[in-house]
Amino acid sequence: MPTPFIMPKMDMDQEVVTIIEWLKKEGEKVTKGEPVVTVETDKITSDIEAPETGTLFGILYFENEEAPVTKVVAYILAEGESLPDLSDGKGTSHESVPPESATPAVSVATPNLRVTPVAERMATSMNIDLTKVQTKGDKITKNDIENFLAAPQVVPGGKTAATPAARRLSKENDVDLSSVNGSGPRGRIQSIDVAANVPQIAKPQSTHVTVKSSGLTPGSSVPLVGKRKRIAERLTASYQNSPHIYLTVEVDMSRAEESRQRMNKLNEKTGKSSISVTAYLAKLVAWNLSHHPYLNASIVEDRIEFWEDVNLGIATAVSDGLVVPVIHQADQLGLVDLNERMRYLAKQARDGLLTREEVDGGTFTISNLGMFGIKSFTAIINPPQTGILAVGATVRKPIVVDENDKVEVRPIMTMTLSVDHRIVDGAVGAQFLADLVRVIENPDMMIY
Amino acid sequence: MPEITYREAIRDAMVTEMRRDDTVFLMGEDIGTYGGAFGVSAGMLDEFGPERILETPISELAIVGAATGAAMVGMKPIAELMFMDFILLALEPLMNQAAKARYMFGGKATVPMVIRMAGGSGTGAAAQHSQSLENILMTIPGIKVVAPSNPHDAKGLLISAIRDPNPVCFIEHKLLYKVKGEVPEDEYTIPLGSAEVKREGTDLTVVTSGIMVSKTMRVAEKLAAEGISIEVIDPRTLRPLDTATINASVKKTGKLLVVHEATKIGGWAGEVFAAVSESDAFDYLDAPMRRLAGKDCPIPYNRLLEAAAVPQEADIETEIRAIISNAY
Repeated sequence: MPTPFIMPKMDMDQEVVTIIEWLKKEGEKVTKGEPVVTVETDKITSDIEAPETGTLFGILYFENEEAPVTKVVAYILAEGESLPDLSDGKGTSHESVPPESATPAVSVATPNLRVTPVAERMATSMNIDLTKVQTKGDKITKNDIENFLAAPQVVPGGKTAATPAARRLSKENDVDLSSVNGSGPRGRIQSIDVAANVPQIAKPQSTHVTVKSSGLTPGSSVPLVGKRKRIAERLTASYQNSPHIYLTVEVDMSRAEESRQRMNKLNEKTGKSSISVTAYLAKLVAWNLSHHPYLNASIVEDRIEFWEDVNLGIATAVSDGLVVPVIHQADQLGLVDLNERMRYLAKQARDGLLTREEVDGGTFTISNLGMFGIKSFTAIINPPQTGILAVGATVRKPIVVDENDKVEVRPIMTMTLSVDHRIVDGAVGAQFLADLVRVIENPDMMIY
Repeated sequence: MPEITYREAIRDAMVTEMRRDDTVFLMGEDIGTYGGAFGVSAGMLDEFGPERILETPISELAIVGAATGAAMVGMKPIAELMFMDFILLALEPLMNQAAKARYMFGGKATVPMVIRMAGGSGTGAAAQHSQSLENILMTIPGIKVVAPSNPHDAKGLLISAIRDPNPVCFIEHKLLYKVKGEVPEDEYTIPLGSAEVKREGTDLTVVTSGIMVSKTMRVAEKLAAEGISIEVIDPRTLRPLDTATINASVKKTGKLLVVHEATKIGGWAGEVFAAVSESDAFDYLDAPMRRLAGKDCPIPYNRLLEAAAVPQEADIETEIRAIISNAY
């Protein structure tokens, strides 16, 4: 049987590597232990060794492409062997392969195991077979256990790990379980994962729409892993790498509110969903972004890339953290469509059903905490974007409305724009904000 | 509705039945003048006299043996064992005689007796006076096992148990004796073999009994504030077990936790799991079924160790959170 060449998982929350270079070409002889491909993760560049001696064939991912970890990226053929049928293409299951060949660079723990006390306790409490845990050092550590738990479950015989409920749902809805990614422990497929592949079925588990704490008693702790860890790393990196500047304005919401309410009356009659403040703002922000290329740009290596599309991220709180679903080409959408799209994405976010496409490609982010009564706040830029708009609550307060110092009570909203000073100078950001205020206070400017 | 204690509710049930039916009588150690080891029968001697509040020697073998014989000749004895731990001395009359008589005599003899026993830990009574032996009793064909978790159920279930034509082991948790609850003054029965959904929920089913019910309910209340919705089921009767109610709940929530004070290995949580696995509810499971049970050790005398040996509220909460967050 050809030996699958599997991309090892080097980091706990790692999903992909980028292929830098194939050191061996298709059809070339390789020797077990010899470097075959150079890959890059967010942290390191490393060479991956051949798991077997033979001929390299069937490379599935090429230079500068991302390859998923724990999946087959190529095959190594022994003398006289041919390539397996690759009709189902990339990301072929790794399941028929013993775990040791999945990570050639890593030794498998021997029966006379050395284990740290913490790791041993974790293993005991979670019923983990320590002989199956791999370690890079000479002792199994807490990290190794966490890696083991995060890695997809390898089931002998290629059977997919799935809960009974997931199996029932897949049968009822004709979903092929092997095409479903499992979100459960060790990659086990849960009913929710099957449901994600069947748009018309409701999520079988109830959802909690309220923002709840991760639910721990004072004095206890949880490991900083997964989504939380990614949020921590990304935002720390953003805060450290991009010099933030903050610009705050107050905006009179009278006309915008009046216009929104008029539309909602119409929507009520036509049975459309009511347009939210955030959706209304998103429409105006998207329009404004299409006129301010520097705010819709990213630093890519040593260049500033101006994006063609305005892909607007909407920061959304969910039970286990924060996700930013993206409304792609938001500037091309009418307000009603944009509102529907935003409602759909918010629901997917709360149900944990967002797809990779639905969170990828954002070029600018809006974060609205007005519904919590927050008057104003500053937000950290979501890399590789250049700006984020922090929207506060609309409060009624007296302001001077004309040159005769006439005072009126108006609905006033405070927004703070954070921009990356490497790309956007104060004046550029200020102009963006001034134009945004103008269009919010006079929505008809959109057709100007 | 008057609030009375669990102990008073049990007494109320016995008094109600003894007034209604002359064949019902109570027997046990120190149940007369002393009022029983936990004061359950206090005052009953005055009303019913020494023939119906029958003091016995210190021999559980004698008590259960005599009760079995009395039941077979037409009486309806209620036997009180000071501690559940002592049922082991009486397993021969219980398991070999009482449980089998109706079967062996082709239905011509019945054994309508109730054995009341105080079970459970939490009073510092150490290894030989703190056990939860329901796991053992549940394996005996021919007897019923009842474990009320509150005063209301204690009264209704005990009246049903007294009227049942089969031997019933009636397990009273020591820590519940002083617990108060609303109990109707009138006579009422709760059918044996029917569970109660104590609290409806959608995220996880917890099946639990005895003292663990109130602990679980408090945890469920706390978690509800965070949007975690727990369904709590009290089987009330452990044998026969109301698997229909449990299975229906698992089909709704997809997740199951069983909490019991009795020890884990061979514990009745396993019986609940088997019932789910053997039913169509299996196909609705979305996580491994879990159990939280007494540690597999004798109940320690030291109060801290004693508490650590059986599930406490914090343990229940931690386990629920783990299941809900897909940790298993």
